[in-house]
Formats: sequence, C-alpha cells, structure tokens
Amino acid sequence: MTEIEERQGDFEMYFGPAHPGSGNFSVRVQLRGERVMKAVVDPGYLHRGFEKLMEYREPMQNSVLSDRICVLEPLQWNLLHAEAVDTLMGYDIPERAKYIRVILAELSRIQSHFIWYAVMSMGTGFTTGFNVAMGYRDYMLDVFDYITGGRLYPAGYICPGGVRKDLPEKAEKKILTLFEKIDYMHKFAKKENPVWLERFKEVGVLTKEEAIKLGATGPILRASGVASDVRRDDPYEIYDELEFEIPVFDEGDAYSRYLIAMQEIEESKKIVKQAIDRMPKGEVKTSNMKPIVHFRKAKGETYTRNELSRGEGAIYMIATGKKTPYRVKIRGPSFTHMIPILKHLLTDSYYADVPAIYWSLNQCPADVDR
Amino acid sequence: MSVVEKEKNNLDKEEKIVTALSKKLNKKVNIQRKKRLWVSIEPKEIVDACSIAYDMGFEHLSTISVTDWIEKNNFEIAYHLWSYKEKMLLTIKTRINRENPTISSVTSLWSKNAELCERECHEFYGVIFEGNVNLTPLMLEDWTGPPPFRKDFDWRKYVQQEYYDESNPREDIYFEVKK
Repeated sequence: MTEIEERQGDFEMYFGPAHPGSGNFSVRVQLRGERVMKAVVDPGYLHRGFEKLMEYREPMQNSVLSDRICVLEPLQWNLLHAEAVDTLMGYDIPERAKYIRVILAELSRIQSHFIWYAVMSMGTGFTTGFNVAMGYRDYMLDVFDYITGGRLYPAGYICPGGVRKDLPEKAEKKILTLFEKIDYMHKFAKKENPVWLERFKEVGVLTKEEAIKLGATGPILRASGVASDVRRDDPYEIYDELEFEIPVFDEGDAYSRYLIAMQEIEESKKIVKQAIDRMPKGEVKTSNMKPIVHFRKAKGETYTRNELSRGEGAIYMIATGKKTPYRVKIRGPSFTHMIPILKHLLTDSYYADVPAIYWSLNQCPADVDR
Repeated sequence: MSVVEKEKNNLDKEEKIVTALSKKLNKKVNIQRKKRLWVSIEPKEIVDACSIAYDMGFEHLSTISVTDWIEKNNFEIAYHLWSYKEKMLLTIKTRINRENPTISSVTSLWSKNAELCERECHEFYGVIFEGNVNLTPLMLEDWTGPPPFRKDFDWRKYVQQEYYDESNPREDIYFEVKK
C-alpha cells in the first residue's frame, strides 16, 4: 500500500484491543472525517509460540496443547493435529473413531458459527442476537462436556490413533435432541433482518481474484464465488463417503458471508445425522498404539490440511526419529483473513462499517498469533 | 466407478501433472502421497519456479515455512501451494545458507499474502527476503534478542536470565531444570 499523506484534520483511532467487540487484536485506523484512509493491523496479543512449544513436547502432550490454538474451535484443531501425527506414524484409524471425529468436528463447526453470528450481532449493536446465540451455544457445550469431559477444551479428546474414549451412553440421542433445541436459534438467525441487510449488504466486498490473491480460504472464499472446500477437494476421515452441499455466493460482501455461515450450519447438521446413522460398532483406538505414541518410529514429513470453521487450517510436521517433532508449522485460517484481507477491505470504507467488516471475516485472534 | 478405478484415475492425474511440471521446471518432481507433490530447487530459481507453478494453476499460497537444519548449517524454506483446478498440493523446497540467509521474495506473485508469510519467517528465523519492502516486526513487541524460533535459541536459559533470580528462594525452583 502506498503511504497516504497525512492532512490537517486527519486523526488516528484504535479499534481494539480494548474495544468491547474486537477480541485480542487491534487495528489502527487513520480517519479523514468518517472515511478510513488507511488501516494498520496489530496482531501479537495472543502470541504463545506454539510452533516452538511443540518442538519440546511429545505428540500426546501436543494433542492437549493443540486445543489452545483456537479457543473457538478446539475440537477441530485437535483433529488436525491428530491427523498429522497419524500420517507420520502410519496409523490405521478404526472406522468408529473416524465417525466420532467427524461428528465432533461438525458439532464444533456449528457452535463456532453460532459465535460468528453472536459477534456479528454484537459488532452491529444487535445485542439480542448475541444473547440468543451465546445462550443456545451453551446447550452444545453441555454435550461437549458429556462426551469429552470439557465444555470448551476437550484436552486432547481427539488424540493420535483415534479418540480417547468411546461415546458415552445415549450420546447419539443427546446430539439429536440438541439439534431440536438449537433449531429455534437457527431459525431466529436465518430470519431476514432489516438491520442486518442495512449493515452488511454491499459492505466489505471482496472479489474472486482478490480473494485468491490475498489467500482467502473457507467461508470467506466461498462467499466470493470459489467453490472450494478441503472436505471435498482433499477429503480426510470419512468426508468422501458423506453427502453434503458446499454453499457458494458470488457477491463477496459481508451479507453473503453471513448467509454462508447459516447454510453451513444446515450442512453440518446433515453430516452429523448421516454419521450417527452409519456409525459402526468397534474399537476407537488403533490397535498398534501403546498408551503413548512412539514418535521415535516416525520419520519424514507431512502437510495436513483440514477445513476448519474459519477456513483452511494446516500443520506441517517434520519427524526425525526423536521423541518430539523436529518442526511444527501451523497455518491458521485467520492469519490471512485478518491481516492482508482486513487491511484491504477497511481501506476506503466508513468507520461505522469497521465492526461489520471485521466480524464478517469470522476471525480468531488466537489462530492469527498462535 | 469402483474404488480401485478411482484410485488409479487419481494417480494418473498426478502422474500427468508431475510430467508437465518436471518438464517445465527441469527438475524431478516427486509424489509423496495422494494429492501431495514436492520438488527441491536451487534458491536462485525460486521466483521462476513459483511463477511456473502459478501459471500451471497452483494459485493459492497456503503458507511459507522455514526449518532450521542446524547440523547441516542451512535453512530449508518450503512454499506450500494449492491448486484449485487440479486439487493438489505442491511443496517447493529450497535450502539457503544459515550464515547468510537471503532469498528472493515472491511478493510479485502473491502480493500481500506472500509479504505477510515472509514477514513472519523473517521475524522468527531471521531470513531476509530480498524485494519484500515490509519486513517489520509482526508479533513480537520490542524484541531485541536473536530470532526466537532458531534451534540455537535456548528459551529456557533466556527466561531464567531475564525473569528470575536464582538467589531468591521463591524463584530458585525455576532453575531446577538446569540442575
């Protein structure tokens, strides 16, 4: 970006990190009247150095650590880390474990999209939306608690070699009852809302070319007209056996990103229902795994990609025959969404649209900083 | 189509891409597993190689990663590219000297996305990307030490020195790892 000359009357404002709706992230915007002339993003408030930490820990410990990469979708990060280790160790995952993994990953996607709806509402002053979404999300957390033992952090429930424990009794029934419960929230969120139309329609438009060039993935890319989904293009677990649609919109604005979220909740429900129907009985951990992962046997490298709620997440892991991985590189989807894309969309927008654009990107500061 | 046929078709597709890429890059492109290709090149060819890959459909720069091979005294830089068309991942790897870690930037191809990835690599490994005008600090605030993700940076020692006092009985527990 070319430097914009400062004029008299221009002033700078911070959006975050202490803004009620910013998360642990901040954007410095240079304003001329109501117009944003320039935006400088400032990540790093949540940098914990996971890549380095993982070099000092064994895979089972890293599995617990991987929850913390993103607070809003820990189960999906659990799955991604487990898959990377599985590939390096050559584990053959039992069918039942695969189904449990997919069910949990999709439930995690639904609750993450609820949060997305909640923060979008909050960012635009529609507090009722926030309260309803966060309230209904709590029902989902109860189910996570029942299955994994942790409401937010599953503490490595999806671990290398399968999952830690089989589903508890009546878990399937609980999940189906949960869907009935959260149906109200979904209907509420899908209703056409004049406030939303006003605040999100034709705001923060990202074209297809820009989206590809700036590294957009997941819902943000699909809202810009590219039908790309890792679950379909680079299938993992049992996704190639399941039937689901990939919602795509061509507008590329904040409103279409919201519509994508709403349709994805529907698709995730479909996936979970199919998985529950088809889930076989049997073991949930690979038979060649002792209580710990013998990572010394692993050699080589892997680039494992998953479709997280926010987009493409990836782990590049190198094993050299030591107890711990030699190198772990983590690619968080929000990294590109929140730095180049946010900067691009904010430039030349109105200050009142900053929260709408900011939250329509479904960001997670934790996975930007890692 | 049966599973076996599907599998065969997939591999055929990869073979096709590998042949075309090998010819254009003049290097041996390897198949690591299904949908995963990799190629190793010289550091000076990086921009050309990336632009050939870009033209062949590998338009999504997933990420750039650096690995510190301290015993071999070099850094391995890997560019992970995804093709929306072929639905395949290509990893372009190159090794640069650890003493003088300089390589050309790929910002001409992926603009701000590449700029950001390179900025991160610069901050954590000290790799200099020639042509990238914005290599300013990203995550670390007021950091004056060596690039922290390098293998020779001992964070335990650093934390002990910076934050704890061994003579203080309330803090000597942090030195037990060393003992």
